[in-house]
Amino acid sequence: MGLKMGNFFSSIWTDFYDCFIKYDYYMMYLKGLRNTIIISLLACIIGLLIGIVITCVRIAPKNNVLIRIADTIGRLYVTIIRGTPVVLQLFIGYFVVFVSLKSTSVFAIKDTAGVWVAALVFGINSGAYMSEILRGGIMSVDKGQMEAGRSLGLSWTHTFFRIVLPQALKIAIPTMFNEFITLVKETSVAGYVGIIDLMKIQKYITTQSAKLYMPLIIIAVIYLIVVLFLQFLQKRIEKKLSAGDNK
Amino acid sequence: MSNGTEIIKNKDKDRLIAVKGLYKTFGKLEVLKGVSTEIKKGEKVVILGPSGSGKSTLLRCMNLLETPTYGEIWFEGKLLTPVDPYLHFDIIRLSKTYKKLYEELKARNPVITDEDADKTVIKDIKEHDLLRRSEGAEYKKEIKTLYKKYFQNVNLTRQKIGMVFQHFNLFNNLTVMGNMTLAPVQLKLKTKAEAEEKALTLLKRIGLEDKENVYPSTLSGGQKQRIAIIRSLMMEPDVMLFDEPTSALDPEMVGEVLGLMKELADDGMTMVVVTHEIGFAKEVASRVLFVDDGKIKEENEPKEFFGNPKDPRLKDFLSKVLV
Repeated sequence: MGLKMGNFFSSIWTDFYDCFIKYDYYMMYLKGLRNTIIISLLACIIGLLIGIVITCVRIAPKNNVLIRIADTIGRLYVTIIRGTPVVLQLFIGYFVVFVSLKSTSVFAIKDTAGVWVAALVFGINSGAYMSEILRGGIMSVDKGQMEAGRSLGLSWTHTFFRIVLPQALKIAIPTMFNEFITLVKETSVAGYVGIIDLMKIQKYITTQSAKLYMPLIIIAVIYLIVVLFLQFLQKRIEKKLSAGDNK
Repeated sequence: MSNGTEIIKNKDKDRLIAVKGLYKTFGKLEVLKGVSTEIKKGEKVVILGPSGSGKSTLLRCMNLLETPTYGEIWFEGKLLTPVDPYLHFDIIRLSKTYKKLYEELKARNPVITDEDADKTVIKDIKEHDLLRRSEGAEYKKEIKTLYKKYFQNVNLTRQKIGMVFQHFNLFNNLTVMGNMTLAPVQLKLKTKAEAEEKALTLLKRIGLEDKENVYPSTLSGGQKQRIAIIRSLMMEPDVMLFDEPTSALDPEMVGEVLGLMKELADDGMTMVVVTHEIGFAKEVASRVLFVDDGKIKEENEPKEFFGNPKDPRLKDFLSKVLV
C-alpha cells in the first residue's frame, strides 16, 4: 500500500516536472500570466472609467438635450454589450476592426498588438456591467443625502461626487469585485483569436508534453492565486471604507 | 405703478419668502391647488394639517427641492421659479416699453385708475406681440436682462434657506465636523479653520462638543437632528425650514430638539415649521397655517387659530388632535 502511494506521488511529481520545470516551461506560464494580467488589468481600468462616465450620464438631471442624447447612447451601449456574448465581441473587435485596420494602415502594426485589442474589447464589455453595478449602488443611497447637500446650496455635481458617490462605491464594492473576478476568468477566451494567454499556454504545453491533466491543474492554481489576491484586495478596501459604520 | 422696480423693492422689504398661486402635481395626483402666502422677516410660521394634505410639499417648494408645476416662489425679492419671462407681468412691468406705454395712456386718459391702466398696457403688449415684430428685438433683450436679474441662481438662494429634514439626512460618509464644514468650506464662504471654529462653538452650544469626530451612525436620533439643525446654521441662513423635525424621533428625544428650535426662535430666526407638535405651535408660532386638500384653509395667530377656529375641516382636525 505504502509503495503504491509512493508511486502515485512520484508519478505526479514527474508529470509536474515535465509540464512546469522541464525546458523552462514555467517561463511560458509566466508569459501567459503576463498577458492575462495585462488584459484583465487594462480591461478593469477601462471598464471602470466607462462605467463611471455612463453612470454619471444616466444619473444626471436631464436638463439639456446633450445629456439626453448621451443618456440614450449610454442605454443603447449597455443593451448591446450585455445582449451579445463576449467571444462574439472579441471576434468582431479582432477580426473585423483590428485585422482590417492592420491591412489598410500605413503604419506597421505588430501582431502582438492583439493583446491591447483584447484589453480594449474586454474593457468595453466590462464597462456595460460596471455602469449597471454603479447605478445600482447610487440608487441604493438614500435620496435624502442628495437633498441635504442641495439644501445647503451645494451643486448637484458637488453633492454627487462628495456625498453620494463615496457611499455608492462602498455599497457596490462587493459586486464590483465580483465583476473584476469574472473578468479575469473571462479573458481565458482570448486564445480564440490567437492571443497567448494562460489558457493558450496550457493548450501548447499539453500538446508538447502529452500530459493531459497536469497543465490544466497548474493554470487552475494560477487563476486561483490571482483571484485570491483580488479577494484580499477587496477585504482591505472594505475595511478602509468601513469608517462610519456602526461599530 | 409707474415704477416697477420700486414696486418689487417696497413689497419685499420685510418679506423673505412669497408664494404665489402655487400648484404641484405628482403625475395625476394634485397635491397643491393654488397656495399663496408670504413669510415675513422674524416670523415663526407653523404649518399644520392632516397627512397627505400637501404641507410638506409646500415647504419643499419653498427652496425648490420640489419644482412647482405652476406658480411662483420669490425669495428676498428674487424670483426662483422658472417662468416664461415674456409672460411674466412683474418682469413686463419693469421694462421701458411698459413704462412708455403706461405714461402715454395716462396722458391720453387722465381719469383711468392705476389698476386699469396696468391691465390695458399689459394686454396691449401681449396682443401686439412685440416679440414677432422687428422693433421687438430691443424689448426682447431688455426682458431677458431683467429676467436674469430677478431669476437668481437657485444654489445661491439655498445657501440662505436652511432646511431640516424628518430623517436628519446627515452625510453618512463624513464625521460630525465634516458634515458641518463641508458646505461653507466648499462654497468658499469660510476658510477651513474659521468653519471648524464656528462648528465647535455651535457644538458646545448644544453640548455635543465631544462628538466632533464621530460618524453619524453612532449618534442617537435626537443628537442627529440637533446636529442637522446646527449644520444648517453654519450657512448663516435668513430663514429655516423644518420638515416634521420630530416625527422620526423616539418620544424622549422630542424635547431636546424642540428646545433647540425654541432657542432659535428666541434668537429671532425666521422659521417655517411643518409639524404635528401642537404645543410648539401654541408656544412659539407667530402665525399658524392650516393646510388641507392642497389649499390654505385658515391662517391666524395661534390664540385665535386654536381658540376660535372657523373652517369646519380645521375644527374637525383640532377636535382630533387636541383630545
